Amino acid sequence: MSAFISPNDLTAQPAGLSMSDHIASMKGQLLSNIKRSAYVYRVDCGGCNGCEIEIFAAITPLFDAERFGIKVVASPRHADILLYTGAVTRAMRMPALRAYAAAPEPKIVVSYGACGCSGGIFHDLYCVWGGTDKIVPVDVYIPGCPPTPPATIYGFAMALGLLGQKLKAETHIEADGEAAPLQHPDMPYNLRVLLERQARQMAGYRQGKDIVEEFLSLLESRDPVQVESRIARFIAAETDPRRAEIFSGLCQTFTRTLTDEQP
Amino acid sequence: MLKLLREVFRTGEATVKYPFAPAEVSKDFRGKPEHDSVSCIACAACTIACPPNAIAMETDVEAETRTWSISYGRCIFCGRCEEACPTGAIKLSADFELAVARKEDLTTKAVFRLAKCRSCGEPLAPAKEVAYVADLINAFCTSPEEADRTRLLVATCPECKRKHDVEQVASLGIERQLENRR
Repeated sequence: MSAFISPNDLTAQPAGLSMSDHIASMKGQLLSNIKRSAYVYRVDCGGCNGCEIEIFAAITPLFDAERFGIKVVASPRHADILLYTGAVTRAMRMPALRAYAAAPEPKIVVSYGACGCSGGIFHDLYCVWGGTDKIVPVDVYIPGCPPTPPATIYGFAMALGLLGQKLKAETHIEADGEAAPLQHPDMPYNLRVLLERQARQMAGYRQGKDIVEEFLSLLESRDPVQVESRIARFIAAETDPRRAEIFSGLCQTFTRTLTDEQP
Repeated sequence: MLKLLREVFRTGEATVKYPFAPAEVSKDFRGKPEHDSVSCIACAACTIACPPNAIAMETDVEAETRTWSISYGRCIFCGRCEEACPTGAIKLSADFELAVARKEDLTTKAVFRLAKCRSCGEPLAPAKEVAYVADLINAFCTSPEEADRTRLLVATCPECKRKHDVEQVASLGIERQLENRR
C-alpha cells in the first residue's frame, strides 16, 4: 500500500503572515504596561459553536471575565485581542484575514479550542486549513474541546502576561530495565478478565473500570473476614442501587468461578 | 425594591474565585491526559482509539525505537485512550490549565526501544510489550521449561514462527515416512 496522502498535501497552502520587528516591540510594550481593559473580538472560522458557548459562559456573572476588564466587542476595530475559533474553513480564510487587518496594532491573537490550535478532529479534512496559525501569527493557544470557562480565563490571563505557562514540552526516554508492572498479579488472569468484562457490560468502560477496581481491592484486602460476607457487607452499605446490583452480579460470577474450579 | 435587595443579599456572591483560588471541578472531569511512561507498553491501543489522531506512534526501524506522542492542541478530551489502555498508563486528570505561547509545548513524547526477534534479529515489537506479554503468560505456565518456551515464542517474529513450524512439520513427516517403510 502506498503512503497515506493527506488532502492538505494536494492543495496549495497559504503563506503565513509575518510580523515586523516594529510591531513586535510595540506588542511587548503593550503587555509590559497594560493599564486598561482588553477588548476581545471573536472570529468564528467554522467552529461547531461549542467554543462560542464557553466564551459566553466565561463572561457571565458566574465566571465574570469582565472583572478583569476582558470585554467582548462587536467590531475588530475596537479589539486588542482577536479570538479565533474553529478549524478555519477554506471559505473563512478571507474574512479571518480581513478581521486581522482591521484590528489596530498592536494586537494579540489567541487560538481557541482544539480546532483553532491544530484543526482538532477536522485536521485532515479537505475543506479546512487546519488551525489558526496557518493563516495568522498566533500568540497564545488555548486547547480544549471546548476549553472550560476557567481554562478560558487562564488563557486570557496568559495572553495578557498575568499568569505563567504551566505546560512544557517533555520527552521521556525509556530507561534500562524499565518494565510495566502487572496489575493485580495475585489474581487469576481469567477471573480478572471475566469480572472486567462483566463490569464493562453493566456500567460502560469508564465506570466499569472503576467498579471492577473497587471489587478487586475488596477481594485482595487482608481482612480476616470471609470474602463473601465482606462483599455482602459492602453491598449492604452501598446507597446507589445500580452499583449494588452490579457488585452482586460480580460476586455471583466470582463464587460461580470458584465452585467450578474446585471440584 | 427592598424585596429585590433582600434577595440579592440572600443569594450572596455567585462569582467563582478562580484564578485567585483553585477552580473546583466535578468528580469525573476530563482534563489533561496524564501519561505514565513507566507503565506504558507502547502497544498503540490508544493511537487506534484516539478519534482526532492526537496520540500518534512512529516506529523508527533504523534507530530501533518507537516514539509515542500526544498533542494536547488536537486532543478533544474524550477519554477513549483511558478506556483502551490495557495497563492503565494514561489517565485523564483534573488539570485544565493548558494554554501555551509556543505550539511545541503542546506535545509530550515518550521514546521506547524495540525488541529484536530471537531468531532473525529483525526489530519485532516494543521491548516492554514483549516482556509484559511474557509476564502475563508466565502465570499460566506449570513448569519452568514451558515458561522458557513461551518466552522464546513471544519474542519471535511471525515470519520466523512460520518458518520453524514448516521445518518441524517437515521433519515429523520424514520420520513418519521412515516409520511407515519399516
